[in-house]
Amino acid sequence: MATMSEKPSNVIGPTLSRRQFIKAGGVLAVGFSFVGTELLKADTAKVATFKNSLDPTLGSSWIEIHPDNTVLIRTGKSDFGQGSTFTAYRQIVADELSVPFEAITTVVAGHTDLTPDGSGAFDFLGRGTPNIRKAAAYTYQALLDLASEKLGVPKEKLSVKDGVVTGGGKSISYGDLVKNQQLRLTIPVSGDLTSIMGLTIEGNPPMKPVSEYTVIGESFKNSIISSKVAAKETWATDVRLPGMLHARVIHPKTLGSTLVSAGQPDKKQFPNAQVIVKGSLVGVVAPTEWEAIQAAEQVAGATKWTDWKGLPGNAKLYQHLREQSDWTSAPIEKSKPSKGDVAPVLASAHKKHSATYQLSYMKHAPIGPTMAVADVKADGTVHIYVHNQNPQALRGEIATMLGTTPDHVIVHAYPGPGHYGRSNGGNSGAEDEAVLLSQAVGKPVRVQWMRADDMQWSTQSAAAYSDVQIAIDEKGKIAAYQIDHYMPAMQDDRPVGAILAGLPTMSAPQVHSGGVTSTVNGIEDPWVYAQVTNLTENGHGTFQVGQKESPIAVGIRDHSMRTPGQFQQNYPRELAINEAAALAGADAIQFRIDHANEERAISVLKAVRDASGWDTRPSPRPNPVSTGATPVRGRGVSLMLRSGTYWACVCQIAVTPSTGAIAVEKYTIAVDPGIIVNPMQLKRNVEGGAVMGIAHALFEEMTFDESGITNEDWTSYPIPTMADIPEIQVVLLNNPKVGAYGGGSEAANALAAPAVAAALHDATGKMIRRLPMKAAYVQAVLKA
Amino acid sequence: MVTLNVNGVRREVQAPDDTPLLYVLRNDLELIGPQFGCGLAQCGACAVLVDGKETRSCVTPVASVANQEITTLEGLPARWAKLRGLSAEEAKSTLHPVQQAWIEEQTPQCGFCQNGMMIKATELLESNPHPTLTQIKEAFTTSGVSPNLCRCGTYVAIIEAVQHAATIMAKRS
Repeated sequence: MATMSEKPSNVIGPTLSRRQFIKAGGVLAVGFSFVGTELLKADTAKVATFKNSLDPTLGSSWIEIHPDNTVLIRTGKSDFGQGSTFTAYRQIVADELSVPFEAITTVVAGHTDLTPDGSGAFDFLGRGTPNIRKAAAYTYQALLDLASEKLGVPKEKLSVKDGVVTGGGKSISYGDLVKNQQLRLTIPVSGDLTSIMGLTIEGNPPMKPVSEYTVIGESFKNSIISSKVAAKETWATDVRLPGMLHARVIHPKTLGSTLVSAGQPDKKQFPNAQVIVKGSLVGVVAPTEWEAIQAAEQVAGATKWTDWKGLPGNAKLYQHLREQSDWTSAPIEKSKPSKGDVAPVLASAHKKHSATYQLSYMKHAPIGPTMAVADVKADGTVHIYVHNQNPQALRGEIATMLGTTPDHVIVHAYPGPGHYGRSNGGNSGAEDEAVLLSQAVGKPVRVQWMRADDMQWSTQSAAAYSDVQIAIDEKGKIAAYQIDHYMPAMQDDRPVGAILAGLPTMSAPQVHSGGVTSTVNGIEDPWVYAQVTNLTENGHGTFQVGQKESPIAVGIRDHSMRTPGQFQQNYPRELAINEAAALAGADAIQFRIDHANEERAISVLKAVRDASGWDTRPSPRPNPVSTGATPVRGRGVSLMLRSGTYWACVCQIAVTPSTGAIAVEKYTIAVDPGIIVNPMQLKRNVEGGAVMGIAHALFEEMTFDESGITNEDWTSYPIPTMADIPEIQVVLLNNPKVGAYGGGSEAANALAAPAVAAALHDATGKMIRRLPMKAAYVQAVLKA
Repeated sequence: MVTLNVNGVRREVQAPDDTPLLYVLRNDLELIGPQFGCGLAQCGACAVLVDGKETRSCVTPVASVANQEITTLEGLPARWAKLRGLSAEEAKSTLHPVQQAWIEEQTPQCGFCQNGMMIKATELLESNPHPTLTQIKEAFTTSGVSPNLCRCGTYVAIIEAVQHAATIMAKRS
């Protein structure tokens, strides 16, 4: 299809046109600049024209430059507390456009009809080139073209400062360039809008040189914090539609139960409550929330389910995984850095370390349980009001469930509690249920899960185990390293209400399911010890536990959680490296430095060594103590490369052998993300991740019996309190020569576990190779 | 019919006596500061001040607090203005020092629990204007019916914000 334009000008592949355009086949035409306030006012939400959810004749696009010199940006990525869309994105766009941070007055995020690119709330900085950066770079070139034409000065003789273009003794502001015109820039885009990764801007527009950054690197404040703190923000939990009913869902008795019969509420007690049944999905709706809650409780007591006992129970989890799980159907994934031949070296090793490391299921455990408001209109249009990490993917899943097309589904995005990955594939539990109940009653319905629903019917971070073998040579260096990672499928994106209702969903994880939903276990933890000459890293994958056994194909559903897959692989690797260092009689930090080549890896290790006051010596410490009621102290280290960022962490702990209680007393972390976009926001993200990671190390564990998950609240699934936090020191290493900005939120939560376990070994001489390190477990190991 | 005194205003609500205060505040009075976190008084996301004491609205029957002084997050600026005798004009443009400090220190991540954290901080600083680190930790862990929980792990930022708020409050007095 052709682009209709009056006067195109050539901008590195994309097209700048006056007037309007028609979407080109296979390429998303992206609007730029709207000019004239009248047209801006007309920029209202329309029903989506799938796959392009934006009405191309209106102003829904990536970036708008307004006549008053203000700028609006749009992104499919919703904020989940990282703050990137309100800070880093504005800083990145400001620098690419050469405008002040404050000029970017509006950030539109998440809404499926008002944002262009989809994808999830993860990897915000796109390893240095998020979509919004390219959109800004293209826009900048278009503005230069316009200015060149307007001022009659060649493009290369123009310079821009604070949104004013100067050249040949003349100057003009961006606002004046776009005033009274209707301009549109089309840029090349590829991808699938409703897939987990969404759309990607193609091409290579010239980017602002790092040396010219003036906005990136400054600690600008996150604007949404102000409105949240002042109770001025509308959260998803606050959405109330006319005629809306409140609902609670009664989930099955077990993860394999089907409905026998649904109970009914006492009509005298709950005159307005109504029970909705669709397959094995049972919902109770009522005009008030309190009536819905009480009636649902009563109905739950009278609802009958089939019984099911098809899970191993967490006491037998690792035995089940090793002996019962099918590790043969998915191909073994070998890492790219794997090299040499480990087998003969391991067979004739001077010293050899062999061990298995185990890591439990954990809950994302958002502080607010999942909820959604859905409004299914008489014409079949579905509106969902929700806090979701991937609204476009949700849209696709709801369309699949209803047998319609995504253009009938509109997701309105609002703030809510952090999900830590749980909804990055499009759903967190309540969305599809709200849609089905709204469809049934013909009114808007608000589904709010209770705390126990959220613990027992949501997904979890996958459990895993790894077998490690390391050969140490006479010089105390690693001669061969082999790690075999075993993990069930880590991402099940099927909406659970649709499964219960017996409606269509994507398939449960299979070998050939696409990308992250496959049973194939890819290597997620980039190797950082380049001096090791014989290396084998294998990933072994399988189905989720109970997935095939459950009559309703539910079982224990997994979902990526903060540092997904990599946590499961980095914990065993880093703890094993600590053990290898001990076996070699080497200091754990120096041992790492001696096996790394990458200067950034070495520099974070040195930084964390200096900042933590690390005394260089082998572990365990001289005269380790594993008995008695006096706390014993030790320290451990860990290292990770994730999303372009190098991380190293030192944990200093005190363990009381008689009780097994571990207290992390000091946590030091060094971070080199390349260019630091916003030091304050990075520091806050790292601190938060650190706290979560200490809990992952010490006590977080999803527990289950033969029928289902047994955690039900914050007592049975404790998360950290303020009393649990150590002294935390964050060392930020700004490294502009890298030329890109790496991620800064994930990883921090994964670093504590191997460092704490190594610290326990340092203090006591005893090694624990299973997470979490709960007091009773530590006590038992120290006694043995 | 229950009569409530919320943020200095008398409000009459039609709700059964046993309705948890949280649902009345959110659904009937459109006060959206308090959030539903657990419904079990285990996390603090729903906290409000009742006669100055941090209270979990998710388990508090509405009739039990009739005629008591209820303050939600929305009422913190006016509470501060009254405490310090600010003019109506000043009060309008002033956030409570706790809120100011929460912004200055960039405390929230997702922010869902921070209503309860700010309510707890207000309770603490009204009774102890210069809390030590130990006292701050006690306030957020052992002083209430449960610790105030933050899943994003913002405790370092909360401690810094409480200390910052104490400084702001001391300056104004």
